[in-house]
Amino acid sequence: MGIRKKVLFGFLILAIMLFLAGAWSIYELKTVGASVQRLLDDNYKSINAANSMTEALEREDSAVLLLLSGHWKHGREIIESGDRSFREAFRIAENNLTIPGEKSYIAEIHKAYGVYKNLWLRPIVGTTREKNLDWYFQEAHASFLNVKLAVNRLRASNAQVMYQTATQLEDKAHRAVVPGVVAIVSALVFTIMFNYFINRYMVSPIIHMTKSVQGFLKNNEPFRLGVETKDELQRLAEAIQALVAQSTKHQASS
Amino acid sequence: MRPAIILRYSGIVLLFDAVFLAISAVISASYSDSALLPLLYSAVIAALFGLFPLIFVPPAKDISNKEGFFVVISSWLLSCLAGSLPYILWGGEFTLTNAWFESVSGFTTTGSSIIRNIEALPLGLLFWRSATHWIGGVGILIFALSVLPSMGRTGMVLYRTEMSSLAMENFHYRTREALKILVIVYVGLTFAEILGLLLCGMNWFDAVTHSFATIATGGFSPKNASIGHYQNISVEMVIVVFMVLSGLHFGLLFAAIRGNVKALWTSSIVKYYLLTLAIGVMITTFSIHGHSFTSWAEALRFAAFQVISLGTSTGFATTDTALWAPLAKLIMIFFTLQCACAGSTSGGIKVDRIVIFWKGLLRTVKKLRHPQAVIAPKVDGVVIESDTLEGSILYIALYLGIVFLSSVFLTALGVDILSAFSGSAATMGNVGPGFGIVSSMSNFSQIPNIGKWILTLTMLLGRLEIFGLILFVTAKSWR
Repeated sequence: MGIRKKVLFGFLILAIMLFLAGAWSIYELKTVGASVQRLLDDNYKSINAANSMTEALEREDSAVLLLLSGHWKHGREIIESGDRSFREAFRIAENNLTIPGEKSYIAEIHKAYGVYKNLWLRPIVGTTREKNLDWYFQEAHASFLNVKLAVNRLRASNAQVMYQTATQLEDKAHRAVVPGVVAIVSALVFTIMFNYFINRYMVSPIIHMTKSVQGFLKNNEPFRLGVETKDELQRLAEAIQALVAQSTKHQASS
Repeated sequence: MRPAIILRYSGIVLLFDAVFLAISAVISASYSDSALLPLLYSAVIAALFGLFPLIFVPPAKDISNKEGFFVVISSWLLSCLAGSLPYILWGGEFTLTNAWFESVSGFTTTGSSIIRNIEALPLGLLFWRSATHWIGGVGILIFALSVLPSMGRTGMVLYRTEMSSLAMENFHYRTREALKILVIVYVGLTFAEILGLLLCGMNWFDAVTHSFATIATGGFSPKNASIGHYQNISVEMVIVVFMVLSGLHFGLLFAAIRGNVKALWTSSIVKYYLLTLAIGVMITTFSIHGHSFTSWAEALRFAAFQVISLGTSTGFATTDTALWAPLAKLIMIFFTLQCACAGSTSGGIKVDRIVIFWKGLLRTVKKLRHPQAVIAPKVDGVVIESDTLEGSILYIALYLGIVFLSSVFLTALGVDILSAFSGSAATMGNVGPGFGIVSSMSNFSQIPNIGKWILTLTMLLGRLEIFGLILFVTAKSWR
C-alpha cells in the first residue's frame, strides 16, 4: 500500500471513530429528548390532571360542609366551580391513556365520582340532611374519599412509570456521553500510534537515506536502503541507490 | 525488541475480539436488545485498532521468543481493555471499575462477577461475556503450550518441569501444527458440549454460553442461579464430564483422541488429579450429608458438582456452598488453591506443581533417614531436577504469599476475613466464587472499588503464572 493510502487510512480511521461516536451521541441525545417529551406528554399530564381533580374534590367537600351549615348560595357556587374543574381535569386524563391499566383507573374515577355527585346534587339546605353530620361522615365524606382514592391510584401509576422512565433516561444520558469519551481517548491513543508509525516507517527511512547520501558524498560510503516497507519510499531508495551506483560507475570510468 | 511487531500481532488478536464482538452485536440485533450499539461500536474500535498496524507494519520473517511472549501478554491486556468497552458503553451496573473487573474476569477465565442481576443484562452482552471466556481459553492454550515452553530458562519453571508424558507431547508439537491441534481439541470439545446440553433440553443460547464457559474453565453463566437454575441432573452430568476433561492437559487429551489412551491413564499427574477429585467428592458428600442434604444421592450430586467445579477452576454452582459444613468448605478452599493440570485452561497452583512438591517432600524425608543416599525424585520415570523442584516450591510459596497479601489488603478495606481470603484465592486461582459475601450464589459487587482492582491484578497474576506478569513489567531488565 502506498504512503498516500496509508496516511489516508489513518485519518479515515480517526474520522470513522469520531463520526460514529458523534452519530451515536446525537442519536442517544435525540432519544433522551424524545423520552423527556414523552414523559411530559404522557405521565406528567395525567399526574397534573389527577392533582387538579384532587383539588377540585377538596373544594367540593368544603362546599358540601357549607351546604350542610345552611350557606346555600355560597356552597352552590363553590361546588359548581369544583365540579367544572373536576370534569375538565377528568377529560384531560380520559384523553391521555398512555400506560397499561390506565383505562380501568379512569373508569373507576368516573364511577366513584358519579356516586359522589349524586349525593350533593340532591338538595341539602332545608332538608333533613342540613346540619346532619352523621350523613356527612357516613355518606358524603366516605364517597368523597372513594373518589380521592381512585384519583390517587391514577396518579401513583403514572408517577411509577415516570420514575422508571427517568431511570432509563439516566442510562440514555450515560450512553450519550460515554461514546464521546471513548472516542476521544481512542483518538488520542490512535494519534500516538499513528505518529509512531509515521516516524518509524516514513520519517526514519528519510533521515536514514539522507545520512546515507551524505555519507556517500563526503566519504564515498556505500548507500544502504534502510526501508522495510514496499511503498514510494522503497522506490525512492532504490532510485537513489541506482543513481549512486551510476555515479560510482561514472567516477570509476572517468 | 520491536514494538511495531508486537503491535502488529497484538492487532490480529484485537481483530479476533472484533469478530466475536460483531457476532454478539448480531445476536443483540436479532433479539432487539439495548446492547447493539455498544457492541457494534466496540467491534469497530477493536477492528480499527487491530487493522491499522497490519497496514503499516510489514510482516516479520522472524519473531524472537521475547517478542512472542510480549505479543501474548500485551494481546491479553489489550483484549481485557477492548472487552471492557461494551460494558462501559452499555452502562447500568458497569462503572469503569466494574467493567474492567468483568472483562479481566472473563478473559482470565476466572468467572467472578460484579453483576447483581445477570438475567437483566441484554442477551448480546451475555453472549459477549461468555465469549470472553472462550477467547481467553484459546489464549491460555497458546500461552501455556506454545509460548512459555519456547522461553527456555527465562523463569518459566512449570513448563520446563512437566514430568509426565504430556511434556513429550508438548515439545513434540511445539510448532504451528501444535496450535492447530490445540484449537481442534478446544473447538471439538466446545461443539461436543453444546450438542450434549442441547440433548438435555437446554436452549441454543444457554448451551453455547455454558459450553464456552465450561471448556475455558471460566464459570460465567447467563443465569443468576448459575447451573442451579436448571435443576436438571443430566445438564449437571454433561457439564461435570466436560469440566473434568477441560482440566486435563490438552496435549494428552489430543493423544487420547488419536488412540493413545494409555498416555492419559499412565500419567501420574492425571492419576493424582482424578484421585484427589474423587477423594474430595467423597469427603464433601459425607460432610454435607445430614447437614445440608438428607439423602445420600443428593449429597453426592451437589458435592460432585461443586468439588469438580472448583477443582477444575470453572466456578459454576448448583447450590450455595456458603451454607455447607466447615469441613466441606475447607475441602473447597483446598481445590480452589490446587485446581487442575498444567497445559489445560484451568488456573490455580496446578496439580503438576503439587505432585512435584510431594515428591520433593518425600525426598527430604528419605534424606533425613539416609543422609548419604543419592535420591532423585521422579515423576513417570523422569528425574526432577533440583532447580525444577526449587522453582515449584518457590512458585507455591509466592502464590500463597500473593493470596495472603491480597487478603490483607481486602481486610484492610473492611471486607471480612473469610470473604477476603476465599475471594483472593478464587481470583488468583481463576476459579470464580469464594465464600462469605463472594459465595457461589453471590457476587463481588460488595467489594470496594480498590479491592476490585486488587482482585483483577491477582486474576492476571494467576493467569500469567506470576512470573509472566513480573517479566512483562520488568521488560527493560531482560537480557
